[in-house]
Amino acid sequence: MAWPRVAMNEARGRRGRQLFIAGLKCALRIAWKTRFGLMPGHRRRCTIAREVRLLCERLGPAFIKLGQLASVRPDVFAPETIFELEQLQDRVGAVSVGAIQTVLKQELGAEVDALLDDFEDEAVAAGSVAQVHRARLARAYRPVTGPELPAGTPVAIKVLRPGIKALIATDLAIARRWAGRLNRWRRLARWRPAALMEEFSAMLERELDLRNEGRTADRFARDFAADPYVIVPRVVWRHSTRRVLVSEFVEGWRLNELGQAERAGINARRLAAHGAEVFMRQILVLGYFHADLHPANLLVTPKGQLCFLDFGIVGRTSPTQREAIAQVLVGLVYGDADRALRYSRELGLVVPAEREQGVRRETEVLVRRHLLEPGRADVRGFALGFLSMLADQRITIPAGYGLLVKALVTVEGVSHAIYPDLDLIKSAKPFATGLIAAQLMQPDRLRRRLPEAGRRALEALLA
Amino acid sequence: MNQDFIKLLAAWALFHESADEGWKSAVARGQAQQPGSMGDGPEAFVQGLAALVDEEKEKLKTRLAGEGDSVEAAPGPDLSERLDTLAFELRELRGCVESLQASVDGLAARRDE
Ligand SMILES: Nc1ncnc2c1ncn2[C@@H]1O[C@H](COP(=O)(O)OP(=O)(O)OP(=O)(O)O)[C@@H](O)[C@H]1O
Repeated sequence: MAWPRVAMNEARGRRGRQLFIAGLKCALRIAWKTRFGLMPGHRRRCTIAREVRLLCERLGPAFIKLGQLASVRPDVFAPETIFELEQLQDRVGAVSVGAIQTVLKQELGAEVDALLDDFEDEAVAAGSVAQVHRARLARAYRPVTGPELPAGTPVAIKVLRPGIKALIATDLAIARRWAGRLNRWRRLARWRPAALMEEFSAMLERELDLRNEGRTADRFARDFAADPYVIVPRVVWRHSTRRVLVSEFVEGWRLNELGQAERAGINARRLAAHGAEVFMRQILVLGYFHADLHPANLLVTPKGQLCFLDFGIVGRTSPTQREAIAQVLVGLVYGDADRALRYSRELGLVVPAEREQGVRRETEVLVRRHLLEPGRADVRGFALGFLSMLADQRITIPAGYGLLVKALVTVEGVSHAIYPDLDLIKSAKPFATGLIAAQLMQPDRLRRRLPEAGRRALEALLA
Repeated sequence: MNQDFIKLLAAWALFHESADEGWKSAVARGQAQQPGSMGDGPEAFVQGLAALVDEEKEKLKTRLAGEGDSVEAAPGPDLSERLDTLAFELRELRGCVESLQASVDGLAARRDE
């Protein structure tokens, strides 16, 4: 048994050297391009961010995924970095169909043709971690939600790339070791590299078991069952395992494929506003949300519905967080910076007393400049300005808070991809208002407040 | 209670009772700064609130009616909700079992090869 371990250590050592050299080259390039750190703040951060993104793309799946996870963490990374990492793309070729069929046979115990009809050799999509093929159900199937899927229903088969688990495990082990070393560096300790790596590794490992994704999809399908504009592909558990996820195939355009012609057939404006609302509902009402929303994970169907795909990364919000987030949101959409900041405190944002005035003033300016211009609300510009301002003031951004700001930017991106002229702030008003109303209407709160309100109302009537 | 009264109540609750100082001053500021543009704010707010008060009232009525009736009365909203949840969890479990079965089939086939 000693031999495989030696071989493994050797492979790890080789990969470690490879990664080290790539990292070193990147560091040198950054040093050169930023004039050894002398370049002014914003431009320097942009340059670093771009180099880091290119490095992640070069290093392969584990680092692409790590970068994607980092891109939803403005609490840790500079805003320039997170918005750059968001654009990480995995440009990889498809795995041969033979290799995919072998995985399917290993996982399901029979040739794919014996289980499903019309398996298509050409992949629908190929990512660095998984590949998607199309086929049809050979027999009817009763999914966890909704009516039966009849035989012949088109299905999407998502299969993890062969060997991906070992590859990611090796890279993560190396990255963990590095993070441990970086932890000892004073300048980087604030970042908690080791703890962050542990957190990311756990998330990535979770993502490599596709059953987790399937379960979230089922929950989501159930919670949005009554919404005629939202569809979630239902899972065919009979043919799904850790490495294979079979779900109904939904025809539609990815957001980045949506052009004038496609928009003409649907009510794009309504769909864009609804999309924003659906996302806010996840964060603020249901307490869990699709945290990996990017244009390839959302389809618009020819019938004008939104189809959510890929529930690999899910974020959660606690009831207290939800209440505070709703208040921040209301503050922002009604241009009340004061309220937004006050409730931000409940989300853990600590502004030292001596800097409070300055922060409030700058926030007001940002709100006015980016959010209150009629017809031209720019949430992304606001978020970038706001996060940079906090970073400049050396104010720590709590994790949940960063996530909220990032989520708002995502919502804007998604709705603009559907309908470019949507004024998000305007369309968020009724929803935000309804939310606060709903909070005021919570039974126990009502019980406390209503008699008093009634008495006062009567007094006013009689006066 | 008529609709106007509910609206008044909601408005009152909003401005004098449930709404905090920040909200009130925000509305005041908004109205002072940009006449018109805040117009749909408080108005929509009050309408939303009124609709919710109505909804809540209806729910309360059904619940009270349910409590007053005897055992054979239709199950209350709570009960059917719980039933729904349980049925969903059961189907979720069935999905889990099916997936495990698929994995078992896969492993068995590999062993027999
Ligand atoms: N049920 C489905 N119906 C239609 N198309 C699908 C379905 N599932 C996946 N696809 C297609 O496959 C692509 C990749 O799917 P998915 O996002 O689940 O995989 P992924 O490897 O996790 O991708 P990434 O990590 O890059 O988001 C989607 O963009 C979509 O085009």
